[in-house]
Amino acid sequence: MPIYAPSLPPRPVLDQGLPPALVIARFDIRRVLSQRMGRFFGFMFVVSLLIQLTMLYVKYLLNTNAALSGIKDFANQVLTQGPEFHASILTMSGWLTSLLWFQVALVGGGLVARDSLYRIRPLMYAHPVRPIDYLAAKGLFAAGLPFVILLPFVFLPWGISLLIAGLSGPVSLWAPLYLLPAALIIALIMGAVTLGASSLAASPRAGFGWVLGISLGSSAIGGLLSGLLHQPIWMAISPQALVGAWPDLLCRVADPKLNWLPTVIGTFAHLVLWTFVAARRTRPSEAVL
Amino acid sequence: MSPTVSLQRASLRYGDILGLSPTTFELPEGGGITGLLGPNGAGKSTLIQLLSGLLPPSGGEVRIFGEAPFRNPQVLSRLGFVPEGDRFPTGLRGIPWLRMMGELSGLRGSGLQGAMERALSVVGMELNGRKPFSEMSKGMRQRMRLAQALLHNPEFLLLDEPFNGMDPEARLLLMDMLRSLATAGRRILVSSHILGEVAQLTDRILLLFRGRLLAEGSVAEIRELLDRHPVELRIGAESAQAVARWAVEHDELVALRMEEAGAVLAVRNPRSFLPKLQAAVLAGELPLLSLDPLDLNLDAVFQFLTKDHA
Repeated sequence: MPIYAPSLPPRPVLDQGLPPALVIARFDIRRVLSQRMGRFFGFMFVVSLLIQLTMLYVKYLLNTNAALSGIKDFANQVLTQGPEFHASILTMSGWLTSLLWFQVALVGGGLVARDSLYRIRPLMYAHPVRPIDYLAAKGLFAAGLPFVILLPFVFLPWGISLLIAGLSGPVSLWAPLYLLPAALIIALIMGAVTLGASSLAASPRAGFGWVLGISLGSSAIGGLLSGLLHQPIWMAISPQALVGAWPDLLCRVADPKLNWLPTVIGTFAHLVLWTFVAARRTRPSEAVL
Repeated sequence: MSPTVSLQRASLRYGDILGLSPTTFELPEGGGITGLLGPNGAGKSTLIQLLSGLLPPSGGEVRIFGEAPFRNPQVLSRLGFVPEGDRFPTGLRGIPWLRMMGELSGLRGSGLQGAMERALSVVGMELNGRKPFSEMSKGMRQRMRLAQALLHNPEFLLLDEPFNGMDPEARLLLMDMLRSLATAGRRILVSSHILGEVAQLTDRILLLFRGRLLAEGSVAEIRELLDRHPVELRIGAESAQAVARWAVEHDELVALRMEEAGAVLAVRNPRSFLPKLQAAVLAGELPLLSLDPLDLNLDAVFQFLTKDHA
């Protein structure tokens, strides 16, 4: 192999390149997109969206097609209506959020854990990268991924409803005003839990286990305490329950599973706790151990 | 001229554990290679973590280019770091990884592309750089790691155990590269726990042991220190008595232990003793069957030096 005399370009001027957080986040996104796992979940979410749109069209037909008036009453009993229907756009009765949890666990579980396993962080921190840049990159990816996935679920049913039925369509004209903040909070909760769990894990597989363990484990504990103490507010310790509660609250469902106060406190506690854990675990002193 | 690296009683604690005792040394400005030598657990990686700005010193002062390196982009942008280890995430390819590292150094666009091409050509990886890391040999992966450290044209290169696990050919290749980089004006600090490896590469050595800087100087000076260390040689011979008779006549002999199939000699200054042994064998004075150095490893030398300095 030939050895060449070193001839390198001039040193770059600082602050001329992209922000390090964007560089790291983009690298993670490209890595996920190049994996089969990304294609599998892409397929699953597209199928879910198609089911959602089909249900929307069925609703539209039930309201407009006289031939279906015979089954309208029965269908209205089976299908959710009003605020419940709007809230279900983001949750699909728990199916969509469960799929999303599984996806963030599988993809996001390795987000920080992979760097720990392969000792990539010391190398990154030896560049002009601050721990806050690293955390922002991982947080951006962890919360950005579920948010981007939820965006079509917010806008497509709304847009199609407007297109086929105008203002009298099954989806309210103002629905994005409720659904978009709900999607953002869902993404933040999932992102924070994923980030914290992944930073606790020593490998991507362990990260997957940590994310599922935290979401399912806290749901089990919350359910147990709610049942024993006959106080549903205990479900607020479960990020899964919080993710389900926000669309209900923002769409003003008549009888939400969780009220505002426990939901706000639970969400705030999870965001602070897991961000704090991730910040502690991604310090340079942790990276070198 | 201000030194490239300057440590003034710099120390590092991991909680209650002292990773590095107060250490003082300087690396001069301009090109050159310095070997950081010490057995496993000596504190080499700790010192490198201080120099690469990963950790602040618990006491004392670390200066690189006259500034503290900890979280200092001005210093980090002039420093290239090749950390220890050889693992890369599954499926990761060389070029995207290199691109990310270049972007983290502040490069972008055509400047980044040019820097990548030149860094890959410096390390001889133009053809193989696009491969996944899993398909590269250990030597290739190490060269890619060196390429990422060279992307932003650093003045100071830090390499933590770069020769670990490399085959002799790849090792020589990497040594050639480092020498040419030093000739081109880079100050390079290479850590290793193998004396022979560092001696082939550099004129200047820092000896670390149990978190202490034990010795600092040229290879010749360190060798002189090592010559005072009694080395144990197991000599297999038809007659152990003949070996003993011959050995006691030499000043270098410190201790003698008889064994069934020979003798174990503890000798000082093996560099003067071994030629005498060779001459005796050639002259037929010694019925030698085998020669086995027992403790020429670095740990034994360090043990000796520590006792010597106590």
